[in-house]
Amino acid sequence: MLRCAKAGALAAALFPLLAQAQEPIPGAGPFFLTVQIGGGIGTVAVGGGYRLARQQLEPEVLVGFVPRRLAGGPALGIITLKTTYIPFSPKLGQHLRVSPLTVGGMLNYTLGRRFFLTSQSTGRYPTKGYYWWSSAVRVGAFVGPRLTYVGAAAQGWRRTSAYAELSTNDLYLVSLLSNKTLSPAEILTLGLGAKISR
Amino acid sequence: MRSSSQHVRRVGGALVAGSWLMGCSLLESSPNQAYAPADEQYQTSRNLARLAAQPPSHHGDTVRFVLVGDSQRFYDETEDFVASVNQQPRIDFVAIAGDISDFGLGREMHWIHRRLQKLHVPYLTVIGNHDELGNGRAAYQKHFGPLNYSFVYQGTRFICLDTNGREYGFNGRVPDLEWLGQQLADTTGIARTVVISHVPPNDADFDPKLVQPYTQLLRRHPQVALHLGAHIHRFTAGQPFHDGLTYLTAYPLKKRRYHVLTLWGQRYFRLETISYAKVR
Repeated sequence: MLRCAKAGALAAALFPLLAQAQEPIPGAGPFFLTVQIGGGIGTVAVGGGYRLARQQLEPEVLVGFVPRRLAGGPALGIITLKTTYIPFSPKLGQHLRVSPLTVGGMLNYTLGRRFFLTSQSTGRYPTKGYYWWSSAVRVGAFVGPRLTYVGAAAQGWRRTSAYAELSTNDLYLVSLLSNKTLSPAEILTLGLGAKISR
Repeated sequence: MRSSSQHVRRVGGALVAGSWLMGCSLLESSPNQAYAPADEQYQTSRNLARLAAQPPSHHGDTVRFVLVGDSQRFYDETEDFVASVNQQPRIDFVAIAGDISDFGLGREMHWIHRRLQKLHVPYLTVIGNHDELGNGRAAYQKHFGPLNYSFVYQGTRFICLDTNGREYGFNGRVPDLEWLGQQLADTTGIARTVVISHVPPNDADFDPKLVQPYTQLLRRHPQVALHLGAHIHRFTAGQPFHDGLTYLTAYPLKKRRYHVLTLWGQRYFRLETISYAKVR
């Protein structure tokens, strides 16, 4: 939490004008719930988090699910740690806030014996680093816009956001960097989601 | 009643829309998903149908095909490879001897397919150890097809099988010797048999318990003309089991070199090596 606050302070130092222009969006508490489809963290993922750094930083935990039909076998479960940074959210009318650009990073773990943390942890391979990467853990980064609706004070869930994200992961990035004929667009993944808070 | 059926229809529509969205490769559930767009699924059976429909490159019992291995993450080289193969006259098909992908991810298989589909001839694959990582086996089955399959072309039975025993923790069942025995026994109308796998039996990644039974099984079938593999990333040809059967390993795609194999008679073959320039 301290580190997140520091990151927020760092962001505020890097974008002083934006940070001054940014006022915490009123009316809703720091806790939020999230539902997301796609984005490499599950066909559907649900979770929640706690807003930090003048509500510009949203660390959260999500649990994702990929059904049998898309997993091609037993369903996949994915646990994701994700943080979104929202540098600015200008007002659009009385109730709307538009964040044209949010950025963030994520780390996820795919459950199941098919996936290894390190290849040596399986005990199947003769040498350390037989496969240099982890098939269970992916590191990713994303950018995307967001639209927030702030309702009247009496409303239960006062604040609702809808967002889209274009993301990629470490292995796709390695593939892109080692090939000239792969285009950046080919390594992107779309995620769509919503966040609510009271 | 009416409103409930409308509701069902609406939910059904949402589900259809949802699965369409999930179907579009951009809205990806997981890099480990086993998804391929409808027109990219099951390339093995599609390419076998293409092969059956095309006239053979040679008369009589001659078959001529390209052999290469380990396309894993070499997309630039794969593009140049396709351009080079397309200049070769009288080729029946291209065989990729495993490790189509590097990380066992479906999107890698899609990237390789996007390039290989520009070949003028059909291409066939066999699963490699990298294709089995994570959920790769399911992704391979969706993109390409069965892990073990065989087909007959120009009097030749090609047996393509999974020999990546280490990925199964050397469980004694990979390669599947019972299935292999059945394929070898079926010799009606067959002049010769060619086995294509990824890990050769003289490599440490082949299930050590199965090396002897595997090589003995092949030895008992004199129509087996060649055993083709890849995995070790260099060309080798020899008779490591001193039993008259030639085992060959293919160049990896990154070497910008591949083989053209011509087979005729029961056991005659000619091996040509083609090098191609770096275009980029």
